[in-house]
Amino acid sequence: MSAPDTARARPLHGQFPTALRFSVRDQTRNRLAGLLLGLFVPVWYLVMDAMASGQVLDFKLYATGEVLHVDGAHLTLISAGLNSVTMIAGFVVFDAVRKAVAFDRRLVYAGYRQTVLISAKALAIAAVAAAIALYTALAILLFWRPTAAGWFAVLAGFAAIALAYGALGLLLGVLVKRDLEGFFLIIMGGLMDTFLQNPLGNPLANKPVLQWFPSFGPMQFAVGGAFGHTALWGHLALGLVWAAAFGTVGLAVFRLRTRNRTRTR
Amino acid sequence: MTPGSTSDLTPALQATGIHKSYGRHPVLRGADLTVAPGQLVAVVGENGAGKSTLLKVLAGTLPADRGEVALSGAFGYCPQDPVLNGALTVAQHLRYFAAARRLPDVERGHELVRLLGYERYEQSAAADLSGGTRQKLNLTLALLHDPDVLLLDEPYQGFDWETYLRFWDLVEDLRARGKAVVIITHLIFEQDRFDLLADLTDGRLIPRTASLEDHHVGA
Repeated sequence: MSAPDTARARPLHGQFPTALRFSVRDQTRNRLAGLLLGLFVPVWYLVMDAMASGQVLDFKLYATGEVLHVDGAHLTLISAGLNSVTMIAGFVVFDAVRKAVAFDRRLVYAGYRQTVLISAKALAIAAVAAAIALYTALAILLFWRPTAAGWFAVLAGFAAIALAYGALGLLLGVLVKRDLEGFFLIIMGGLMDTFLQNPLGNPLANKPVLQWFPSFGPMQFAVGGAFGHTALWGHLALGLVWAAAFGTVGLAVFRLRTRNRTRTR
Repeated sequence: MTPGSTSDLTPALQATGIHKSYGRHPVLRGADLTVAPGQLVAVVGENGAGKSTLLKVLAGTLPADRGEVALSGAFGYCPQDPVLNGALTVAQHLRYFAAARRLPDVERGHELVRLLGYERYEQSAAADLSGGTRQKLNLTLALLHDPDVLLLDEPYQGFDWETYLRFWDLVEDLRARGKAVVIITHLIFEQDRFDLLADLTDGRLIPRTASLEDHHVGA
């Protein structure tokens, strides 16, 4: 409930910049996520690189029908990066959103406009997801130096999947009650999703069923750009559609859970 | 005091015939409460009597099955369990709620922090505060915009004696400035501090003493 009689002078702090600043701060205070970024990502790259080194893998580009014969280590680095991004972006956003639901509701009751809070939160999630994607794409350069265009394709693929899993983190953050449920869904979902896209020892790879997974589009875009010298914009957009779908449902539930039922006379 | 008779006597808070059930279990069965500006009221009840349910209905966070609640002016609500963001400092909480209330400054916030005696924790994250200090911040956020009607759910839980006394100084100041204050609690130590005590029994509010009946509380 807002207090109309307190709106006499110009507010000292604007609602949008304040909410944006504190939402970003909220999502960057996760020490475990920082540790995962700093340690897990390079170690995961190292392990996957060593595991798939020397193998040549067939990877199907669905937009063109072309089957690429690619260096297994490099392809696996892309799917390892996608996998890291799914876990870290999903975990960071889920943890921050879940812990702040009651606080956000209190802010709305205190007069925060829900649309402002929602926009600030969405922008903060996008910024944090983009930062995680950038770091993960930079870390890949320790193991592999693709062309500049190829690296940007990998970065774009990582950014799309980071947004999709950040949005999934938001959705789970407003839906599930306990940490464990959310973490399990994010980790298992991300693992299954990204593992299945890689033909390394996976009989399901290159099968049409993969198109129904969130990382399909970003993986196609990253591999197409890094190895096939082609920009499959439609597939990148597919990753963003997943992000938009998770984000829209998540923000709708957030709106319901933080709505103000009070009234004054 | 007759509700609505003149503008000066308009109740700050008026709840009429509040009913609320959870499934088949009725919790509130026609609770009435009228609080005038400057009045300090305690709603007392045993555990499970429905105090928190009543407060949530009064605060508007829980819809009643039946009945009316009307509030005049700005409203402040202090929940029993501190609702804070562990990642943000005390000062950042003040700024966040100043933005929510569209306040021109956070002077009142800093004043409350001083009054409750926890100014040295202004730069500490809420997650690092003790239970009592978290409760002080919880209360500060409810009072930040100097509300006309204040609902406090077990507000002095976890306070040490000195803070308890500071709390009452604060409440006296609010009352002197014509603010209506409702405190919900399961324990009353000093009955004479209140203008009115109402027991929440069988889903209704009953004034504790006959001499206080003209305060318009009861079924």
